[in-house]
Amino acid sequence: MADAKAGAGNAIVGMGRGSYAMLLVFFLGPAVVIYTVFSIYPLLATIFNSLYLRQPDGAYIFNGLGNFQTLLTDTTWSAPFWNAFRNNCYFFLIHMLVQNPIGLALAAMLSLPRLRFRATYRTLIFMPTMLSVVIIGFTWQLILSPLWGISKMFLNAFGLGFLFAPWLGQESTALITVSLISVWQFVGIPMILIYTALLAIPEELIDAATVDGLNQFQAFIWVKLPLIFPTIGLVSVLTFVNNFNAFDLIYAMKGALAGPNFSADIMGTLFYRTFFGNQLQLGDLSMGSTIATMMFLIILIGIMCYLFLIQRRMQRYSF
Amino acid sequence: MSEVKIEKLCKSYGPVEVLKDIDLTVEDGSFVVLVGPSGCGKSTLLRSIAGLEPVNSGNMTIGGKQVNDLPPAQREIAMVFQSYALYPHMDVYNNMAFGLKFAKTPKAEIDARVNEAARILQLEPLLKRRPRELSGGQRQRVAIGRAIVRKPQVFLFDEPLSNLDAALRINTRVEIAKLHKMLKATIMYVTHDQVEAMTLADKIVVMNNGRVEQAGRPLELYYKPNNLFVAGFIGSPAMNFLPAQVKKGGTLALSDGQELKATLPSSCKTGDSVTLGFRPEHMTLGGTGNFALTGTVDIIERLGESGFAHVRLPSGQTIIAEVRGDPRTSSGQSAKLTFNAENLHIFNAEGRRLG
Repeated sequence: MADAKAGAGNAIVGMGRGSYAMLLVFFLGPAVVIYTVFSIYPLLATIFNSLYLRQPDGAYIFNGLGNFQTLLTDTTWSAPFWNAFRNNCYFFLIHMLVQNPIGLALAAMLSLPRLRFRATYRTLIFMPTMLSVVIIGFTWQLILSPLWGISKMFLNAFGLGFLFAPWLGQESTALITVSLISVWQFVGIPMILIYTALLAIPEELIDAATVDGLNQFQAFIWVKLPLIFPTIGLVSVLTFVNNFNAFDLIYAMKGALAGPNFSADIMGTLFYRTFFGNQLQLGDLSMGSTIATMMFLIILIGIMCYLFLIQRRMQRYSF
Repeated sequence: MSEVKIEKLCKSYGPVEVLKDIDLTVEDGSFVVLVGPSGCGKSTLLRSIAGLEPVNSGNMTIGGKQVNDLPPAQREIAMVFQSYALYPHMDVYNNMAFGLKFAKTPKAEIDARVNEAARILQLEPLLKRRPRELSGGQRQRVAIGRAIVRKPQVFLFDEPLSNLDAALRINTRVEIAKLHKMLKATIMYVTHDQVEAMTLADKIVVMNNGRVEQAGRPLELYYKPNNLFVAGFIGSPAMNFLPAQVKKGGTLALSDGQELKATLPSSCKTGDSVTLGFRPEHMTLGGTGNFALTGTVDIIERLGESGFAHVRLPSGQTIIAEVRGDPRTSSGQSAKLTFNAENLHIFNAEGRRLG
C-alpha cells in the first residue's frame, strides 16, 4: 500500500507540467463540467435573474434587491410568501416530530436480537419510498376520498364513521394530511440510515451494559442512542433540505394551487406558480427567481446553523 | 466465599450442542483458565456463567447462591471483554462508575470505589479522558477497573489480551497475575493462548467440542495429559505422535518395523494398538537416549537460542524436535533423534492415557 502510494507520488514528480495538467483535466474535468452546467450555472443565473424586474413591455431592467423588498413587504407577494413559508415550517416540523422518531423506533425494533422476519419488515417499510410520488399521491387520494374511499368504509366497519372527515379537502387538515402521507412514504429512509448505524455498534458494548445492570431499553437509551446522534443529525439535515425543496407530492395531490385556499401551499408550489405561471397568473421569471433564491437562502441558513451550532459539538465514534 | 460451581451444564443452539454436561468447580480465590481451540465452547461457557447466554439445563452457583435465573447484574460477576467494550461517549471515570450509578450506589461510595480502582491500575491521570484518547493497554486497564469497582465475587475475562500487541501482552499478563495476588479474587479467564494459560492459571480447563477434556494444575496437564487432545494442545510445538503396536515381551513396534523397548504400563496387552507421544523439547539431535529414531531433516526453523528440526521418518511421518543452540545439521541430511523412556506418553486406541 505504502509502496503503491510512493510509486504514484514519484510518477507525478517525474511528470512534465503539461501532462500533469492533462491528468488534472482527466480526473477532475468531468465532475467540474457536470457541476458547472447543472448546478453552479443555474444557481448563479437564478440569483442574477432575481436582480432584474420585468417591465410591462417585456423588457428586463436591473432592480437591485427591489424584488426581495417587494416579496417581503408588498402584501400581494408577502402574504402568499409568508403563508408558504409557515406551511413549509409545519411540513418540516411534522416530519421531524413524526417521521424521524418513528424511523428511530422502527430501526430500534429491527435491531432487536430475537426478531423474526427482519428482512421482510425492512423491505415492506422501505417499499413506499421506492414508489413514484405520483402513484403514492393518487393512491392516497383514492383511499381518503369521501365518495368512494375505503377509509370511510373502514372506519364505519368499526363503528367509528363519525371520525371521518374529508381531510384532504378541509383547510384545517389538508396540510397535516399531506405531511403525514409524505411521512408514511419516506419513513424508510431515517429507518434504514439509523438501522445501519445501530448495526455498527458492537454487540459486546451491549453485553457490557447488560452486566452493568441495564435492560434492553435502558441500554438503547443510555448507550446506543448517544452513539447514533451523528446519524440522527444527518437524518435531520436531509429532512430539512428535502422538506424545503418539496414540491412533487403536494403538486400531485393538490395541484399547483395547493388548496383549499392555499392551505397546503409550500415554497415549492409557490415558486412553481410564480415562475411558470398557472391559470390566469402569468409566469414571472424575475419574481420566480427571487422566490427560488429565498428558498436557497433558507436552506443555506438552516445548514449553516446545523454545521456551526450542532455538528461541531458532536462526537463521532469509531469502535 | 466466592466459589463457582457448575454442574451438568448443557447448552445448545437448536440441534447444535455447544456445551455438553460441563462439571467444573472454581475454588475461592483461584485463577482458572479455560483453553481450547476456536469454537470449543469456552467463551460460551463464560458467557453462560455471566448470564449473557441462556442455558438449557444444569446448575450454576456463585458463592453458594444459585444464579441460573438471575440477570447478569445480580450474579455478582464482572466481565472484561475482548474488545474492552468501553462506552465511547463516556470518560474513564464514568465508564467505571456507570454500573454503580445504575445500581443507585451513593455518590460518595462511587467516588471512593472508582478512585481506589484508578489508584490500583494507575489510571488517576486519565480519569477525564475518553476511550479513544487512550492506548490499547490503557483501555484494557479501564476495562479491568470497571470490573474491580463492582466488587464482584468472580471476575470473568474473555480473551482480554488478544487485542494487544505482543510486548504489551506480556506486560499485561504479568499485571493481571499481580492483580490476582493483590485482590485475592476468584478469576475465570478464557484464552486460546496456552502461554497465558500456563503462566496465569492455578487450574487449567482444556475444552474441546463443548466438553471438558481435562482440568488440572498447569504442569499436571503438561506432564500427565489425560488424552491425545490435551497432549496435543498443551505444549508448543505440539507433541509428536506415532502409532505403534505392543509386541510380545513388552516392546513397541513402530509402523516402519523399528522396535522400542520400554517399561509398559500394566494395562498394555500384547497386540494392542497404541499411540506414542513425545514432546519436541525432550528429544535431542544426535546425543544419547533410550530410544532413537532416524530420518531425513526436512527443514530447520532457527529461533536463535534454539531451533526446531522437522525430521521425516522412513514411514513418511514428520517428527519435530527441539535443538539447542545452532545445529550444524541442514536440510536433506540424515539425523538421529534420541529421547528417554521416562518422557514417553502412551495412549490407547481410544486416545486415553495409559499408566
